[in-house]
Amino acid sequence: MDLQEYFSLVFSDYTLRTITLGTAILGAVTGMLGSFAVLRKQSLLGDAISHAALPGIAIAFLITGAKDSNTLLLGALVSGLIGTFWIRSIVKKTHLKSDTALGLILSLFFGFGMLLLTFIQKQPNANQAGLDKYLFGQAATLVESDVWMMATVTGLCLFVLLLFWKEFKILLFDADYTKTLGFNTKFIDVLITSFIVLAIVLGLQTVGVVLMSAMLLAPAAAARQWTNSLSKMVFLAAIFGAFSGVFGTAISASQTNLSTGPVIVLVASVFVVFSFVFSPSRGLLFKQIRFIKNRRDLELHKTLAFMHHIAETHDDISHPHAIKLLNNFQGFTRKTLQNLVEKKYVTLDGNMWSLTKTGFETAANLYTKQATEDE
Amino acid sequence: MNSAQIEIQLIASLVALACAIPGTFLVLRKMAMISDAISHSILPGIVVGFFITQDLNSPLLIVLAAFTGVITVVLVEYIQKTGLVKEDTAIGLVFPALFSIGVILIAKNANDVHLDVDAVLVGELALAPFDRLVVSGVDIGPKSLWIIGTILLITTTLLIAFYKELKVSTFDKGLAASLGFSPAIIHYGLMTVSSITTVGAFDAVGAILVVALMIAPAATAYLLTTNLKKMLALAAFFGVFSAISGYWLAHLLDASIAGSITTMLGLLFLAVYLFAPNKGVIAVMYREKQQRIEVSLLTFLLHLKNHSEVEERHVNHLREHINWQKIRAKTVLELALKNNMIAVNNNVVSLTDKGDTFTSKAIDYIITNEDAQIEDMKDDFFLFRG
Repeated sequence: MDLQEYFSLVFSDYTLRTITLGTAILGAVTGMLGSFAVLRKQSLLGDAISHAALPGIAIAFLITGAKDSNTLLLGALVSGLIGTFWIRSIVKKTHLKSDTALGLILSLFFGFGMLLLTFIQKQPNANQAGLDKYLFGQAATLVESDVWMMATVTGLCLFVLLLFWKEFKILLFDADYTKTLGFNTKFIDVLITSFIVLAIVLGLQTVGVVLMSAMLLAPAAAARQWTNSLSKMVFLAAIFGAFSGVFGTAISASQTNLSTGPVIVLVASVFVVFSFVFSPSRGLLFKQIRFIKNRRDLELHKTLAFMHHIAETHDDISHPHAIKLLNNFQGFTRKTLQNLVEKKYVTLDGNMWSLTKTGFETAANLYTKQATEDE
Repeated sequence: MNSAQIEIQLIASLVALACAIPGTFLVLRKMAMISDAISHSILPGIVVGFFITQDLNSPLLIVLAAFTGVITVVLVEYIQKTGLVKEDTAIGLVFPALFSIGVILIAKNANDVHLDVDAVLVGELALAPFDRLVVSGVDIGPKSLWIIGTILLITTTLLIAFYKELKVSTFDKGLAASLGFSPAIIHYGLMTVSSITTVGAFDAVGAILVVALMIAPAATAYLLTTNLKKMLALAAFFGVFSAISGYWLAHLLDASIAGSITTMLGLLFLAVYLFAPNKGVIAVMYREKQQRIEVSLLTFLLHLKNHSEVEERHVNHLREHINWQKIRAKTVLELALKNNMIAVNNNVVSLTDKGDTFTSKAIDYIITNEDAQIEDMKDDFFLFRG
């Protein structure tokens, strides 16, 4: 199946439609909430939570003995939340730093989850096949009810976001001020963290533990490059996330042997790289262009100022000088001289240059302007 | 205990030792998450190495994988330097992308060989004794044992040789640079060692256990000491202890060895986290409570000093005035009485001479805020706790 065929089939084919919708919604919700994680410097929380969810899945299975995906997700949610709050308490109560706390909880919970999974495997009655799909994710296992659940959670997220928008925003940028204003910062904080955990847990089934953190970060990091406004960033991140989901699914469906999760992550990474390079105000490309342009301007000004300095010692400002004189001066290049001629600041006559009247005035202005700016 | 069991425990212990050394420095340098990133992003290195050599046992795989690990660090630092995103975001962007490339490469090209993503992430220590190193017809032990043993030997040698440099550059980068050893060389040296250790260890025990063995023992040790040598020794001890007890836990439950070792690490951390003498949660909570009482006591004494009127100094009035609950007021009152700071006559509280002197000192300190005064005050404060 090639891409074209995919897009023609996506509306009619049940499986394709479900998977595409699911990954699109997932991308949108993780992008939306990921913006908050990135801005709150909790980028790696996603990685930690997605690993910390594993023992919850295993325990939920051990208790109920059923593979109902809602129960398992509930278990994942609970253990994800426990992990998150343990991380916070480690950072708050001890001198261990947040990276240590994250790595600690991530690996310990995941290891404990593995212990439980292998333990379940040995149980006589248990059919654990399908539990390990949470490790690597299998978008193909998505069914319509999963998509409905994702949509419901996304709707709920959106509703709460809009309801508490002002609070979220102010908490993001000035937590202390929020407190003095009398907002219950703890409540808002727990609310947003819980939603981040919820979104991650939702994604486990589709892209898996390892790649979930990228889904949270990549769309948000890409969106951040295009705007300085929170609302625009959240909106853009949701769009980027949804597109990563759709394109990733499309590409993986059009090839054999391509798992959906990694492809979605790579598509999202492409968005990031593109944004890093081409964003107009922050991007590396335009930054480099601005840098080169500024350097050129500076060189031009330096040469002009130097010429002005020489010309000042003469009564006649257009008195011709040998080009050799400029060799003492490092900023001199043929190109800048040519530029100056084009601007009619200088006239060239063989190997002799002379300042024009405009050139002299500009240089004088430049000089005084610099002098006053220095003060 | 049969020889396979001994070998497994030996391999696990050596891995724990080899991880504890770089892990300690990663934790101290606030770079713990780098080990998680490396453990995932070496996957494409291994896959590419396999494509080139078509041999899973080739040393080129280890070299390429370790190289990918260092590339991860360089990429993270490059992205961070552009200032477009923060450091943690840079880590979170780089390793899933590299890991995805690895997974896709495996899925597209190496589906039929034994290069399973499950095995890479989870590892199977129980199988390690079956992969033996045979030199000119003689079986000289499991291959993992030799690999991790060599890595441990190199790491230990490097640690002893560059201990001073590592120590100074970890705690004071500026000082290290001014003393003439480049922090950059130490930094990338440490990253290379971490990367090689991760690769060597994860062949035997899987990525997640490597991360756990790097971070958890060091973090647990850090809660118990601030001395670098003690921290290294404690981390090594915790690692080996969890490795061996974890093995027996797995034996008991018939479950994953890596998972059991991690669980033991987790239990150890939990115990230390709760009960560590100075930095444990319980100790911290107790200290905070003491400090709250001390502050209350000081407030109480200052109030007494400010008011000479009898009605302001009545026991019940104090309760209402300073707005304390009954129990807290009682605790503070008793503490002050016990230390001879106050005297109570007919339910009217007044400062004793000692209390008066102390409160004057306290006011003096509050006004001048001089360090010399707090030293004397501290001696007095210890009295209160009695």
